Amino acid sequence: MSEKTMIEVKDLVKKFNGLTAVAGISFNVQRGECLGILGPNGAGKTTTVRVIQCISPATSGTVSVLGMRASLDERRIRALLGVVPQENDIDPDLTVNENLELFAALFDIPRKVAQARIMEHLEFVELKERADNKIGSLSGGMKRRLLVARALLNEPSIMILDEPTTGLDPQARHLIWQRLRALKNKGVTIILNTHYMEEAQQLCDRLLILDKGSILKEGIPQELVKNEVGEEVVEVRNHEGVKDVLRKLQGLEFNSEVVGDTLYLYCHESKDILTRLATSETLSVLRRLATLEDVFLKLTGRGLSE
Amino acid sequence: MKKLLAVLSYRIYYVWKRNLVSYKRFAIPTFIASMGEPLLYLVAMGIGLGSYMGLINGMPYLNFLAPGLLVSTAMFAATYECTFGAYVRMTVEKVYNALIVTPLTVEEVVAGEILWGMTRSMFSGFIMLIVLLLFGIAHWSSFLLMPLVWMAVGFFFSSLAIIITSFAPNFDFFTYYLELFITPMFFFSGVFFPLDRMPAVVKVIARFLPLTYAVDISRAFIRGPLGWNILRDFVILLVSASILFIWALHQMKKRLIK
Repeated sequence: MSEKTMIEVKDLVKKFNGLTAVAGISFNVQRGECLGILGPNGAGKTTTVRVIQCISPATSGTVSVLGMRASLDERRIRALLGVVPQENDIDPDLTVNENLELFAALFDIPRKVAQARIMEHLEFVELKERADNKIGSLSGGMKRRLLVARALLNEPSIMILDEPTTGLDPQARHLIWQRLRALKNKGVTIILNTHYMEEAQQLCDRLLILDKGSILKEGIPQELVKNEVGEEVVEVRNHEGVKDVLRKLQGLEFNSEVVGDTLYLYCHESKDILTRLATSETLSVLRRLATLEDVFLKLTGRGLSE
Repeated sequence: MKKLLAVLSYRIYYVWKRNLVSYKRFAIPTFIASMGEPLLYLVAMGIGLGSYMGLINGMPYLNFLAPGLLVSTAMFAATYECTFGAYVRMTVEKVYNALIVTPLTVEEVVAGEILWGMTRSMFSGFIMLIVLLLFGIAHWSSFLLMPLVWMAVGFFFSSLAIIITSFAPNFDFFTYYLELFITPMFFFSGVFFPLDRMPAVVKVIARFLPLTYAVDISRAFIRGPLGWNILRDFVILLVSASILFIWALHQMKKRLIK
């Protein structure tokens, strides 16, 4: 384990009543890195981070955080973590301020320091005016921002965010992304579970694509796109038959996939494809850049996983 | 024991304090829920029924009834707090989920909840005792000794309630617990009638009901006489409560850490 390694996950297996949620995965997270864990619902993302948070014991394999074993040093590990859970668990019986005061106390932060930090973090997530409000009066986006503020109270060296922007409007989502980028610049190590490709592309240095408890692919976002699907995608609709279209494109280099009424052509350069398809007037042809979403769908399949 | 001390620390206080801060907002409704029943019995049976009755054990029925109700209110307060109250915090409000990703352990969360249940027992007991003072049934000196009984009762019934909560799939589950265990105990542990003239079966059953011991202690504290049997009753209550406490920590951990 090198000095830069913050988290080391080795052959992690997690079973619930015989059902395998995580089927033997290994990965490391380096200091200051933002690692994205991508996967459809039920892929094992939440289970994986719960083991790192020491609230779910591994069935087999090991998880270490800064050299400390998750199964042995739970208090010390959790003292280093800032966790934004998937489900909102802000205490609805307390005010915004009381919520943060409670959490500061739990991390043994002295009262005076806590007061200053609470104001600072509330400002950071633009909730300063809401300090004395009840939780019930906050919108979904505000609650998420409050979760981020709460997770920052102990000045964590590792942030674990489980689908932090699910269900938020674009404004709220972008605000959270801004804040996460600011944290990354400060050197905070981040693990981000998400199924939003845009979020992964915006924030993550490296990605794990998880499906059915196993790692399908690992890599840097741009390289994953380039290696898995190429640079450009041509979507063809209104065709009279896939075979006809493919016949026109004989000799060109591309991968293709048919989903419903659409034929997807993945390639590095679409110019020749477009020229040949231009001969047909009835075809509806759309050219766009390849994205992480294409990689994701290609790897995890287009069927519903649940 | 060593293992237990490693997972319990001063952080229990923060869980307790969280409940106190939240309680301030819901004090009145929760208070009425736990106080209402014993107070109702005091008025309806003690005064209503009591006026048609002669002396029981050499005292008016109201005076006989009062010490038992004084500990029953503590039992109800702890029971409601650590069943319905704890279940809401655990499943609806997700308070436990939030707490256990801090340096807090599950054991500390549970111990804090039980400590809070004991506190609620104390609150209810105090108010009830004030009422009894106003009725002229108790003496102010009871404020010195009664907290010991309320704490023991709170400890026992909070721990037991947490165990029930750890198994509860929904709210209906608590109705069974209340109707099949708590309410029968309320009626058969010597609160409403002396046990010594009951059939042997009832006497034997009563000896297995923890409230019986608390009622005995309370009656001795309020009416006298104070004897060594009180110490025995305390030991029985505290030992059984401690066993339930350890079990509660274990069961709740099983529910929360998966």
